[in-house]
Amino acid sequence: MRYITFALAKGRLAKKAMEILEETGITCEEMKDEKTRKLIFVNEELKLKFFLAKASDVPTYVEYGAADIGIVGRDTLLEEGRKLYEVYDLGIGKCRMCVCGPKSAEEHLKNHKLIRVASKYPHIAKDYFYNVKHQTVEIIKLNGSVELAPIVGLSEVIVDIVETGATLKENGLEVLEEICGLSARMVVNQVSMKMENERITEIIEKLRRRDMALLKSGQEGMK
Amino acid sequence: MEKKLLHTPEGVRDIYNDECAERLLIQDRLHSVLKLYGYKDIQTPSFEFFDIFNKERGSVASKNMFKFFDREGNTLVLRPDMTPAIARCAAKYFENEKEIIRLCYIGNSFINNSRYQGRLKETTQAGCELIGNNSVYADAEVIALLIEAVLSSGLTEFQVEVGHIGFFSGLVKEAGISEAGEAELREIIRGKNIFRVGEILESEGVAEEMGESFYRLAQLFGNVEILDEAETLTNDSTARAAIKHLRDVYELLKVYGFERYLTFDLGMLNEHNYYTGVIFQAYTYNVGEPLAGGGRYDRLIGQFGKERPSIGFTLTVDLLHQAVQRQHIELPRPDEVKTIVYDGENAVNAVKLAAFFRNSGIAARILPAEQADGVMGTDSITASPQALERYGIK
Repeated sequence: MRYITFALAKGRLAKKAMEILEETGITCEEMKDEKTRKLIFVNEELKLKFFLAKASDVPTYVEYGAADIGIVGRDTLLEEGRKLYEVYDLGIGKCRMCVCGPKSAEEHLKNHKLIRVASKYPHIAKDYFYNVKHQTVEIIKLNGSVELAPIVGLSEVIVDIVETGATLKENGLEVLEEICGLSARMVVNQVSMKMENERITEIIEKLRRRDMALLKSGQEGMK
Repeated sequence: MEKKLLHTPEGVRDIYNDECAERLLIQDRLHSVLKLYGYKDIQTPSFEFFDIFNKERGSVASKNMFKFFDREGNTLVLRPDMTPAIARCAAKYFENEKEIIRLCYIGNSFINNSRYQGRLKETTQAGCELIGNNSVYADAEVIALLIEAVLSSGLTEFQVEVGHIGFFSGLVKEAGISEAGEAELREIIRGKNIFRVGEILESEGVAEEMGESFYRLAQLFGNVEILDEAETLTNDSTARAAIKHLRDVYELLKVYGFERYLTFDLGMLNEHNYYTGVIFQAYTYNVGEPLAGGGRYDRLIGQFGKERPSIGFTLTVDLLHQAVQRQHIELPRPDEVKTIVYDGENAVNAVKLAAFFRNSGIAARILPAEQADGVMGTDSITASPQALERYGIK
């Protein structure tokens, strides 16, 4: 049997995703050792391999087939725009992609004036302004602390992920428009999906059954 | 020498020595399979007018083509895809509408995909087009030909997955989905985005029972048994005809003896509305993208003249070669070359010996002794007078 390789987006998401996978019987003991310097973790019994990668690299690994399955946020998938099968919504890491700025910037979004938009997600920002809002904008790519841009006058608004909105509030910014909802997704390489159809379908099926069971117990709890 | 001059631009590469020999061997084998099926060679120019490959006809987005201008200001493109050019030829040179035309090609195509680093911009494509017949026999022949072509490279673990556009369009018609909804749904089914199907169905107001079919559609791939399930999902005549057609293709491929390489995916949809019936792709291990793809396109040639039903495939030789290498498939080494080593006074003998071997159909090269270090092997001879005698050369 061949190995099925998982690429996980480093950080909180990977930890949560592994917890969910563990509930469905997909485990990797090696990975729990926090001091390990290993880059690849193996479960010999199930013939699975796991590795951690920077979130924005996960779609690349999966597109080229270096990993068969990837777990990564929808924000990264939209930004990278790779050819992948997006097969499951893990429902973790829920947040929103929004246009944010000071309250005063609201009117910039109503007319078709050329404004500057700062973002870590230039493709998402461009797609939203050009194809949804039909507004011509100038996009400024930043790599972090995007909230700074409207405060110091680098841009009128920003496009960024909003989880609770606390950072925005503290800096006098607010959500002006919502672009879309985000959460962690399971993606699969197009060839792997076909060549390893049975094993991969089983993994997805197990996740679905877990979620159905959770949903059911949740509904019963409400009664 | 300037080091900078040694580089090739991003996306193109040199192929040399053993790799090149192997590549040519694979191409030879592909070519002989194509010839065995009675396909005739065709060559079309490397660049053509942009309009030949535009949105309705090509499979590549305009921004991904290499474009330039001729002296009159016409836009030209390096061909990103072979099929439209061959459709143009079919309309131009083969006017007898009743005739069945079988054409095959091996040539390079060019796609300017700068965002995807590590992907080639120039690739070698081998393929065929069967024009003038829309029967299931034509469909099965082209699929069988693809299977035989892949087999000729030595690969054994691969699958050719077949779908049919009619199934999806039948379902869409039955559910009464709008054109905009269809485009979005197509995108979602293509990405096997099962959990997003609901969003579209809701906005289109599709009945729940009907909606279920679309959920299933994204998962409708696998062995021939999935055709049975697909049949239970619809009463639409177009969709049912598509299933029947796929069954017929399967039965015929059994006759070819190739059914074990065949799988089905009814959710296989192409990005552009280029194909009109059967579509298919070939996959194997260790290569993250399809090796080959093709399908029936009955309305393409009509854009250059009268409509002619046609079907064809394109196989990316670079990917096939990559799969052969990564799966460690041994190809026979290309014939060794006899090396004849000489020093100053024996040079004439060397030339005589080399001519002797070449006349007998054996490849030979001559090498001065001082440059022969490291190439002396079992296949090398010293150009001594004794050697001449041994071969009976005067």
